[in-house]
Amino acid sequence: MNRALSTLGIVAGNELSDSIRSRRVIVMFLLYLAGAMGATALFITFLHSIEGELVKTLGLDAPKDAGSVTATLWKSRPFRDMLTGLIGEKKLAETLLDVPPLALFYGWLSCAFTPMLVMLTASARVSEEIASGSIRYLMFRGGRAPWLLGKFAGQAAQMFIALLLSALGAWVIGWFRMTGYDGWPTAYHMLWFAVKAWLYALPFLGLALGISQLCALPNLALAFGFMSLVAASVLTSLSNWLAGEGWRRIWDLVNVLTPGAHRHALWWNDAEHLLPAIVFLVTLAALYLFAGYARFARRDL
Amino acid sequence: MSSALRFQGVVKNYGRLRALDGLDLDVPQGSIFGLVGSNGAGKTTAMAIALGLLRPGTGTLDILGVGPFTPEQHAGRVALLPQDSQFPPHARIEELLRFYGRLQGVTPEAIAPNISELLNWVHLADRRRSPVRTLSHGMKRRLSIAQAFLGHPDLVLLDEPLNGLDPKEAARVRDLIRERRGRQTIVISSHQLTDIEALCDHVAFIEKGKLVRQDTLDKIVRRSHRVTYHISSGTLPLAQLQAALPDVEWEQHGNRVIAGFPTRYTTEELNTAVLRILLEARVGVLEIRRGSDLESEYLRLAAEPPPLLPPK
Repeated sequence: MNRALSTLGIVAGNELSDSIRSRRVIVMFLLYLAGAMGATALFITFLHSIEGELVKTLGLDAPKDAGSVTATLWKSRPFRDMLTGLIGEKKLAETLLDVPPLALFYGWLSCAFTPMLVMLTASARVSEEIASGSIRYLMFRGGRAPWLLGKFAGQAAQMFIALLLSALGAWVIGWFRMTGYDGWPTAYHMLWFAVKAWLYALPFLGLALGISQLCALPNLALAFGFMSLVAASVLTSLSNWLAGEGWRRIWDLVNVLTPGAHRHALWWNDAEHLLPAIVFLVTLAALYLFAGYARFARRDL
Repeated sequence: MSSALRFQGVVKNYGRLRALDGLDLDVPQGSIFGLVGSNGAGKTTAMAIALGLLRPGTGTLDILGVGPFTPEQHAGRVALLPQDSQFPPHARIEELLRFYGRLQGVTPEAIAPNISELLNWVHLADRRRSPVRTLSHGMKRRLSIAQAFLGHPDLVLLDEPLNGLDPKEAARVRDLIRERRGRQTIVISSHQLTDIEALCDHVAFIEKGKLVRQDTLDKIVRRSHRVTYHISSGTLPLAQLQAALPDVEWEQHGNRVIAGFPTRYTTEELNTAVLRILLEARVGVLEIRRGSDLESEYLRLAAEPPPLLPPK
């Protein structure tokens, strides 16, 4: 057991440092950062133009920077009532309206794009070691399971660093471009959303590494990774739509087995919603990872 | 002598192709053991099965006396130099060896001296900070050899270790393997029979996934009752040789002539008679050695060529 844990830790550390050393992951980190910064800048520009239209309609002086109108609007009672009506769940609306708009945007952005970046970086990680044969230098030094879990842990840590970087990038853009910027609350909520996006991405990481164990060709693993991402998304929508009584209850099971079904709960901040979502997401990550492992444990290397 | 590695009736199929067909093998502890066989004979498969990279079909395996390979029992005690495996290209030599060494169970205090020793061993000390992608094929091979000895494992399996090495480095690696005799069990698979002969004290011939013969090198080349004459020119005077030494069995493989003699002769008596006849027939003799050579024995077992003259 000690040996397995030690292998897991060593592999995780190597996976992380190796990822940081390799150019590909630097590119991936830059993608996270540039994506978050670029999207945040676009969002602020969009916000600014909406605010411009709004003050023009109301016949007020146009604001120099983005955010001042939104900040006022965000705190106004009629606007909050309108959004609560749109969301339909009072408690959730209150939770979301306590979050600065930029942090909210970051939360949406990170949940939407992190799974894609995970597939891009992780879905070939095992298969490229199988294809190059470098795995043969490793397997007799530890077990397959500790090695795989170490790989997962290293990738998860790498993803967390990337999310923190992207949160920092988005926060810096807001700080430069928004008036009345709530620096600390925005930073706090962005950090919190980075953690939530990381939890949400764990099953996708499990899926990516699960697929990677099935393919000896890295490009094939990458292609299957993206196909599975689309399939998971389609299955979430389909199961939401088709679930019902009788035989259609089978779609409830399908729904529970897709990561997308647990995304909604991550918008909440209370344990009642968050804990079940976390349990489901971690379980799904393990399920996908070990579905691939069932083959990997028996495959010839 | 107890076994470091034992195969009993091990079968391995790749789809419809049978790679190992009931392989039996017994590698004594502390030996330098040569695995010899033609391409596709099953040498690489046997090594990969031994260390859990391939799953055997049927049969039993015992490694270091504690059963078939399991990471719990064997990790850190065994190592492999795989034949055609690449290292991660962007990894630096020292970092890669540190990673492998830590997995091998080398303590943090021991790892730096161990890496330095091995890199000096394979002449890569000056490249310790170089990424793998900048190394030549031969350097990568030397790195492969170095990683197999990290942590002084009890059993080391080397698949074609001298492939791709220049003659100087190959000689150095041969010396280094010899130095380990008795301290570690080393199994070497190679097509280079001269290397096997120079390094190993035990040899097994494998063909079509089966053991053809396993014994000590001395017994295989029959040092006690065979002499090999390496001739350079002239026609072998077989008639005179047979007339002078009627109960000696003769074989010729190219310019090597092997005399198999009964125990009533001494090597000196045989040499005196044979050299006299060869010199009279103006046949140049370049080398005389006790026993035949591994290549002749391997070819004899693989193809069973008939002797030039049957013994009377």
